[in-house]
Amino acid sequence: MTTVPLPTSGPIRDTIEARPESDNYLTHTRGVLSWIFTLDHKRIGVMYMWSVLGSFLLGGIFALLVRTELLTPGPTITEDANTYNQWFTLHGAIMVFLVIIPSIPAALGNIILPIMLGAKDVAFPRLNLFSYYLWVCGAVLCVLSLAMGGFDTGWTFYTPYSTTTTAGGVIPVLTAAFILGFSSIFTGLNFVVTVHKLRPPGMTWFKMPLFLWALYATAIIQVLATPVLGITLLLLIVERTVNIGIFNPTMGGDPVLYQHFFWFYSHPAVYIMILPAMGIISEIIAINSHRSIFGYRFIAFSSIAIAMFSFIVWGHHMFTSGQSALMNTLFSAISFSVAIPSAVKVFNWVATLYKGAVSLTTPMWYALAFLFLFTIGGLTGLPLATLSTDVHLHDTYYVVAHFHYVMMGSALIAMVGGLHHWWPKIFGRMYDERLGTVACWIIFIGFNVTFFTQFMLGSQGMPRRYYDYQPEYQVYHVISTIGSYIMAFGFTLTAVSLFGSFFNGRKAPANPWGGRSLEWQCASPPPFDNFAKTPRVGDCYDFSVVHWDEKTGGYWVDESAEQKGSHA
Amino acid sequence: MLTSLQSINLAATKALALAASAQAGQAGPTPPTFWMPKGASTIAPGVDHTLDVINWICYFFFALVVVLTAVFAVKYRHRKGERFGSDHPHHNTPLELFWTIVPTILVIGIFVVGFRSYLDIYTAPKNAFDIKVTAQKWAWSFQYPNGAQSDDLYVPAGKPVRLVLRSSDVLHSLYIPDFRVKRDIVPGRYTYAWFQCDYPTGMPGKDVRDPNAKTVEGALDAAQAHALFCTEYCGTGHSKMNRYVYVLDEASFNQWMVDQSQWIDKIPEEELYFKAGPKIFGRCVQCHSLDGSNGIGPSWKGIVDRVKAYPFVGEGKKYATYQDYIRTSILAPGDYVVPPYANAMPTFKGQLNDKAIDAVIGYMEHLDEFDPKTGKYLKADAAK
Repeated sequence: MTTVPLPTSGPIRDTIEARPESDNYLTHTRGVLSWIFTLDHKRIGVMYMWSVLGSFLLGGIFALLVRTELLTPGPTITEDANTYNQWFTLHGAIMVFLVIIPSIPAALGNIILPIMLGAKDVAFPRLNLFSYYLWVCGAVLCVLSLAMGGFDTGWTFYTPYSTTTTAGGVIPVLTAAFILGFSSIFTGLNFVVTVHKLRPPGMTWFKMPLFLWALYATAIIQVLATPVLGITLLLLIVERTVNIGIFNPTMGGDPVLYQHFFWFYSHPAVYIMILPAMGIISEIIAINSHRSIFGYRFIAFSSIAIAMFSFIVWGHHMFTSGQSALMNTLFSAISFSVAIPSAVKVFNWVATLYKGAVSLTTPMWYALAFLFLFTIGGLTGLPLATLSTDVHLHDTYYVVAHFHYVMMGSALIAMVGGLHHWWPKIFGRMYDERLGTVACWIIFIGFNVTFFTQFMLGSQGMPRRYYDYQPEYQVYHVISTIGSYIMAFGFTLTAVSLFGSFFNGRKAPANPWGGRSLEWQCASPPPFDNFAKTPRVGDCYDFSVVHWDEKTGGYWVDESAEQKGSHA
Repeated sequence: MLTSLQSINLAATKALALAASAQAGQAGPTPPTFWMPKGASTIAPGVDHTLDVINWICYFFFALVVVLTAVFAVKYRHRKGERFGSDHPHHNTPLELFWTIVPTILVIGIFVVGFRSYLDIYTAPKNAFDIKVTAQKWAWSFQYPNGAQSDDLYVPAGKPVRLVLRSSDVLHSLYIPDFRVKRDIVPGRYTYAWFQCDYPTGMPGKDVRDPNAKTVEGALDAAQAHALFCTEYCGTGHSKMNRYVYVLDEASFNQWMVDQSQWIDKIPEEELYFKAGPKIFGRCVQCHSLDGSNGIGPSWKGIVDRVKAYPFVGEGKKYATYQDYIRTSILAPGDYVVPPYANAMPTFKGQLNDKAIDAVIGYMEHLDEFDPKTGKYLKADAAK
């Protein structure tokens, strides 16, 4: 390989236009090594995406095992309560640490953030690749821990159970979560610097698409909160291996201290999951309504508000744990503050549909599903933040249903919506939209059948993490399990529609939905280094200059009209 | 907004009071609803009422969001060939302030309603009757002031009861859904829960619990008794830590307490193993079997012979007799753990007295006289 000396003067050669038309980031270099050692944010993002989707399949299988076991009271498919305990622990740990936390920022964010921003890559491409391999190490260790005896602690690793259980895989999985934490920190760091430093001229803070605001807010939480989890898990490992009493009362420790440490990270982690999802929803709703997002600044600031409030509400996980009444009261009061920016966002999204031109594309159906599910997920948070009702509902299926509505019904549905939204951009192929929409509906119905039942199950008193239960709860469990099968079918259809696009999907136009943000200005799939020249930043939510083009089957942006227009 | 909330609050309280007086003829727990199980404690109506207030607010906002979304999505759907306009509002500051302030006022209202009913839950009356509760993997033990002990919880009706909770191993949580009471039990510290139930449930029938049953079945007039769960994950037997709460009128409760404290003393020595043995085994069944199948601990089948064969039992060894070893295993289980079993057993020190331990050893010695599946005493029928 010969190195071409960089031109020292004169205009930079427009490398992208010099390449053949078929050249893009997927075909620019070839061979396995070109992927393993790639520094391209899009390729790293794609590798993240496949890894996360693989983990989602694994976590989903454990979810189905859990649901199937709960079809009947007593043994159903396993005689051993320990096996069941390992299933739900694995389901939780995989879904939280390997799927939802990295899904939107690390997978979709990596691919989209630099292009949307108008940059050629993230600020630290090597760090980006390193954080992916950290993720791989963590994931491998997590799976290895299964072979080393598994773990039955629940994904929360509450002490002293986690420091005294005899399951052999506890230390490997704690190490895995520790490593995954660093992967998450590095991604966050990279995004913060990228957003601060790599914005092209004209891309002021308030010109940024809301997805970038959301990713930025998320990245701040990742950088600030995740180290606390790392230290906590390290302390747990120290206690387990060399018996230094930090959390175990028989050695002079305090188990409630662990809960404080754990939730100091894990509550903000909930917003690491939901904030980028909200960003995706802002994009999908604005683009498919083809009108400016309603209350841009309120949405942007509510992201930052949520990120800040998220650090001071962790105690609401501990209302029954022996925390003082005063602490409970304060945490209850502060917890309600999160409801306000969340409500503001929902109202703004609904208002964005008003007087729009709504196209019911597959991603839009996911966004509408999100609105429905997130509203339920958010509102059912109210009885949990309220002191007296939380005492009854805490640690029951009501809580399980609530956080599934938020983490799965909202964060994951938004991730799947985002996947549909940017799939044509990422792979240059259109999927079957009819099949995609039908799959969305089936997932939506299955989801509600599965989890709405669990609200009733929980408020009727069914505790969570139960292998066996009283017969009077069975009818709810059966309905819930049927719902989970419907959902599994829906996700299979989604996979068929997306993978089908590789075989019979038509070539995607640069701008299939009529978007204005910068990623829709470059080809689908994007060229190797995104932009030939510094992109011109317009108003990313002004759709009046977007026109349908029958020939390409996509939209085009009339830039001259915009320049003449009065949009400043 | 706050005042309207309060008026909802008031109206609902009145309605509740009316309902209560209507039911005065047949006083009893509030019936189960779509959301809540029956409410049998004095705090239950307050909690249910709080949930009702919140739920109605939720129904309203849910309907608002879903209806508006559906209407807008249909009314403003894009028609083919239609140009995208720019004649729509970008923002509207008064409107946005309005929908920021209204939720703020509402959540403050919800907080206040929840805080008020929480104070009732949190603060036990001074004259409360204390019952000590020990949670361990995976059993409950309830200890009464006169020294009586039970595996199910018995409480007097019409009297505030304070539970003094402690754990001998990991985190547990005591939860009685019908009373809306829940409290984590943290090793290394005492926690408290209290409730008052005014409606007696009556006593369970005699010998209804099958000592070998894997779950607590609803045989004990479950419609009346109140379920008691462990709600903090504690391992293998977590979902088996469920028991019942029986509420007795004060006279029967006092009588029950006396009987319960003396039950083992009243049994003659020669009847000890078949009268007390199976009853005590009910506390061991989560981990030990009678039929030779492996549990978390070793099966009791043939245990006496196996213990005799252990290298540390015998003359001049650590334990002179097998009785010694079994006794130590009950009181200090970690002293000699036999592989492959883990050191998982909690101590029963202070819960089983000498006579009870004699009963357990006698039961182990005479296991062939019991049905290995049900644990029933086989000679009882023969004697008849």
